[in-house]
Amino acid sequence: MKKYLSSLVCGFGAGVLQIVPFLRTFSCCMILPFAAFLSLLLNQKATKSREKITTKNALLFGIMTGLYAALFGSSLEILITLITKHNDIVTTFPELQRMVENFPVGPEIKKEVLTLFQNVRTDIMTHGFSTVYTISVFVNNFIINTIFGAVGGIVGAQVINSKMNNQAG
Amino acid sequence: MAIRYRLIIFFILSLWCAGIFLEWFIRFDDHFLFAFPFIQKTYLLVCHRESSKLISFYTGETLTCARCTGIYLGLLLSSFIFLFRYYNLIPDIKFLFLASVPMFADVFLSSAGLYEYSKPAAFITGLLLGSVGFLYLYAGLNNLITEMKK
Repeated sequence: MKKYLSSLVCGFGAGVLQIVPFLRTFSCCMILPFAAFLSLLLNQKATKSREKITTKNALLFGIMTGLYAALFGSSLEILITLITKHNDIVTTFPELQRMVENFPVGPEIKKEVLTLFQNVRTDIMTHGFSTVYTISVFVNNFIINTIFGAVGGIVGAQVINSKMNNQAG
Repeated sequence: MAIRYRLIIFFILSLWCAGIFLEWFIRFDDHFLFAFPFIQKTYLLVCHRESSKLISFYTGETLTCARCTGIYLGLLLSSFIFLFRYYNLIPDIKFLFLASVPMFADVFLSSAGLYEYSKPAAFITGLLLGSVGFLYLYAGLNNLITEMKK
């Protein structure tokens, strides 16, 4: 656990950036890879290591950062939805309705899709909780954040090692 | 890196990039419509998806902004080139910084209001960073495979 403390810190930061209403406007594909890179840097500073980072180790740090980001991001998102009984499904539903109406698909499919999301929206607005929504948030966050964290870890190790090569040379 | 690994990388990136254009695929299979809101949420995790910054095409809009679309298509483009040509290079870090300068300059200057946000500029600067960034990802994956084999 202590070994991945830097991942915990950076993962928490990335998780918060992904869900807090105002901060999420800054959300971008660079946040999670950057968090993984930062966790590698922090770990190097903490351990005072001057050795090159192995890609295997960097991958683990990236995955851990992604997992922590997913855990904090999902939990906070569910908690905020539970308290406010409001989230982007509720906000964007009219837009989704308009989009679905414009898609060149059959009326039955359109009706089924809209009913499904209308139910999710109603659950959120009345109870602040929807099982479908909660599962989708957790699955989404865990898959995407882990992949982006792993990529950040792998690329981050290349950057740090290349910098070390330049300093040594 | 063996061709099978390069094919896997290209396949994963193709799948991810295809997701960006999901609205285009819905016209071929109605069932994609059920996945649409969930996939939209997936891309929301990695892009702000500001409606004015999405790329419009004749059946809809991309699920990521112009800049992120550029980055992902840049990665895909490089992975496609690497399918046919094997480069065993370890790129210097300065290339990544140089490739990121136009993108960050565009972000900073357009956010500061020095000029108006432009989708083509965002797309091209993203494409540049994505294509160069792939070299580092590729080198990293190459190292990982070598380390795993030891």
